[in-house]
Amino acid sequence: MASFQHPFQSLKLVKRHSQGLPNVLVASAGSYIYSYGAESGQRLAVWPQQVETSRGSTSAPTSTSDDQAPPEKRIRLSSPENDSEQKPAATTDGSTAWTNIPIVLVTSDGKHVVALTAEDKCIRVFSLTEDGHFKELSSRNMAKKPCALDLTPDGQTILCADKFGDVYSLPLIPGEYVKPKIQAKKPKPVATTLTVHSKRNLRSLEQQHMHAERAEKAARAQEEGEEKTALNFEHQLILGHVSMLTDVIAVSLPGAVGSRPRNYILTADRDEHIRVSRGIPQAHVIEQQCLGHTSLISKICIPSWAPSVLISGGGDGQLLVWNWSEGQLHQKMPLGDSIQDAIVSGIWDVSFDQPAGTAGSINLILVGLEGTPQLLCYTLESDNTLKSQGVVQLSGNVLDIACIDSQGSVVISLDTIRESGSTDMWKENAVSPQTLTECLQFSIADGGLKWTVGDDTRTASINAGGTSSLPVTLDAKQKKTINDTLYNLGNLRKRTFDD
Amino acid sequence: MTTQVAGKRHHREEYRRKIQEQAERGDGDASNVKMPQKRFFRQRAHANVFSDHNLDYPISPAHMDWASHYPAFVDPDPSKINLGGTRKLTKDVEVVDIGCGFGGLLVGLAPLLPDTLMVGMEIRVSVLEYVRSRISALRLKQQVLKKIAAEKSTNEATPSDTPAAQEDEDDEVGSTTTIVPGNYENITGIRANTMKFLPNFFGHHQLSKIFVCFPDPHFKARKHKARIISESLNAEYAYVLKPGGLMYTITDVEEYHHWVLRHFKYETVEGENVAEDEPTGGIRDLWELLSDEELEADPCVRVMKFETEESKKVTRNNGNKYVAVFRRKADPEWPA
Repeated sequence: MASFQHPFQSLKLVKRHSQGLPNVLVASAGSYIYSYGAESGQRLAVWPQQVETSRGSTSAPTSTSDDQAPPEKRIRLSSPENDSEQKPAATTDGSTAWTNIPIVLVTSDGKHVVALTAEDKCIRVFSLTEDGHFKELSSRNMAKKPCALDLTPDGQTILCADKFGDVYSLPLIPGEYVKPKIQAKKPKPVATTLTVHSKRNLRSLEQQHMHAERAEKAARAQEEGEEKTALNFEHQLILGHVSMLTDVIAVSLPGAVGSRPRNYILTADRDEHIRVSRGIPQAHVIEQQCLGHTSLISKICIPSWAPSVLISGGGDGQLLVWNWSEGQLHQKMPLGDSIQDAIVSGIWDVSFDQPAGTAGSINLILVGLEGTPQLLCYTLESDNTLKSQGVVQLSGNVLDIACIDSQGSVVISLDTIRESGSTDMWKENAVSPQTLTECLQFSIADGGLKWTVGDDTRTASINAGGTSSLPVTLDAKQKKTINDTLYNLGNLRKRTFDD
Repeated sequence: MTTQVAGKRHHREEYRRKIQEQAERGDGDASNVKMPQKRFFRQRAHANVFSDHNLDYPISPAHMDWASHYPAFVDPDPSKINLGGTRKLTKDVEVVDIGCGFGGLLVGLAPLLPDTLMVGMEIRVSVLEYVRSRISALRLKQQVLKKIAAEKSTNEATPSDTPAAQEDEDDEVGSTTTIVPGNYENITGIRANTMKFLPNFFGHHQLSKIFVCFPDPHFKARKHKARIISESLNAEYAYVLKPGGLMYTITDVEEYHHWVLRHFKYETVEGENVAEDEPTGGIRDLWELLSDEELEADPCVRVMKFETEESKKVTRNNGNKYVAVFRRKADPEWPA
């Protein structure tokens, strides 16, 4: 019986035409990151490199073009014993300190890939070589679970929004880090009230005591703080909510005439807030609050072609369209009656050229709902309102989307394990090859938006290559753990209880 | 033991119901308007600010029903309705007491700023219930006093109309015997978790004063993130305060005072002062520490220091009071 393979959790296109290199598709599945030729679907590399222990074959999986399926791998479900310790990317038996890679980002210059490995809360930065291989440059373990990452408009800084509501900034390429030294403890005053008698001396003694105590307290507080957050790399807390963050966007708007573009950071949380702060180094200046959702917010999206527009979605069955720099709600778009309970799991902006002869481009907003095979299609009209264009039905739950070219081709990663429309019901059998990805082709015909769904050579090649396999037998608890790595938004809904 | 507790609870509920009824009836003469007693509203001094609770909060400031809180300030034009479908006020709320406790500060400030709308926010249900009962009783008493005064002036002949006897041992602040400016119509209390939902109640640059009086010190280091003052929250206070607005803090815990200074970037971790002209950037951009002379001249500081329940307790115990007040500066220029 064929075993299940890990679906692609994250899918990103790396645009490298400016470097004179072919584009690359980067995808994470299970504990691995894969790279594919964006045109061919041919697998280029896997990270971490799978080490073949027993067979003595030293060839990397990338060089064996006829057998691209990686060896079966035992996944590790227990959390690593020691998160803070730096570990080699993969041990000899191929097991890693993490079981999944929820977030993958690429820099706009196409040179670097940023990935978050889940259990060790580690932000890893890779350079992408010319032939599409990953070279790990740094790994930084965060203290709290990162929930969303983004890169600043200059591409030099990573923003990490975490479960505790804080946003940290980290340089993309960490430099020399000198730990701020803890001040040596000040000596306590030796004199006591029994040894000093004059009024003035008594007063100064009192002050000395106060100072010593304060210094000690400060040092202790710092130590205690450090025990937990001893991060041995440069990082800075730039803003915070008192609520779990679910998404973060760094964006730039053109400034007034003759001035520099203005940078902003948008943060969304579980308590229905979207905050608009200034960019670094003024992230403590809050410019706006976009308030209007009535349940958790799970995704926010600023379309690349309309930077003044924000589209947000979550658990309240609607999309909200904002003029975010003014904090103005522009439009409320209900998701539709049948899908009221679903939580938005992804909002993607897709832009493609109109067919030859006609000018302009088509600007689409695609919306995925957690644990459903539907993809809601909207066009963003010239007045910045959403117009529903229908629902695309895929063959499995939609996980992530990457826009492949300017002709309307979109690669969609699908859940291969669970039944369509379910977050926890596993399929009876795994078919081979599994439909890890599907291709969605948009076009304009008879003045309307049309699409076709299916396999093309690219997705066929990706699917044939497969990903790492899950163990054949898993108990219910293990299955639930695996389900939760992909579908966890439901847990963010508020539970009611008595005070 | 259990029956005793149950009896106590029953007693409490009975008492609160009576107080509630009094407020709803809205009548009575000066002698039988009862001020609520704190002992029926006690609740443990801490609340988990990170859990969800059953909180009621508006979607946005434009959805907030203020009309039911300040009936005397409702806009006479009934067609003026906010996004929540409730009547608008003639003015905005401008003063907030975060963690108002039993409401001593509000009651003390009410006659001082009779034309300013003030709200106390408190996360503990029972304590807030006390504040609400206290304010409605004070308002009621004012109405009665006004009626008596009116009768007196029309009928000068009526001899000694004795003022209501001060029968309530529990209540220290707030006049129940004389008419005060504003008649306590300008204060109210709301149950809220301000650490999460402050921007749901107040818009950009809406407030002129925020008070944080004797906040829960959360002594343990791992509880520090629950403190009501932090750099991240100070950014949020700056958002709702208008430039020139004031952020008042007072604590009896010296370490917390330094924590406050540190989180406004007026002190370093080592306890060193940060000089005024030292370029620190960060949250310091937005705040200016008031001098001792300025504190001396501000009557609100006096109320904060001596009229809140907590400040009286500290005075009784000969404790210290550490005051720090910060003025909200205008937003810094965008980086050129």
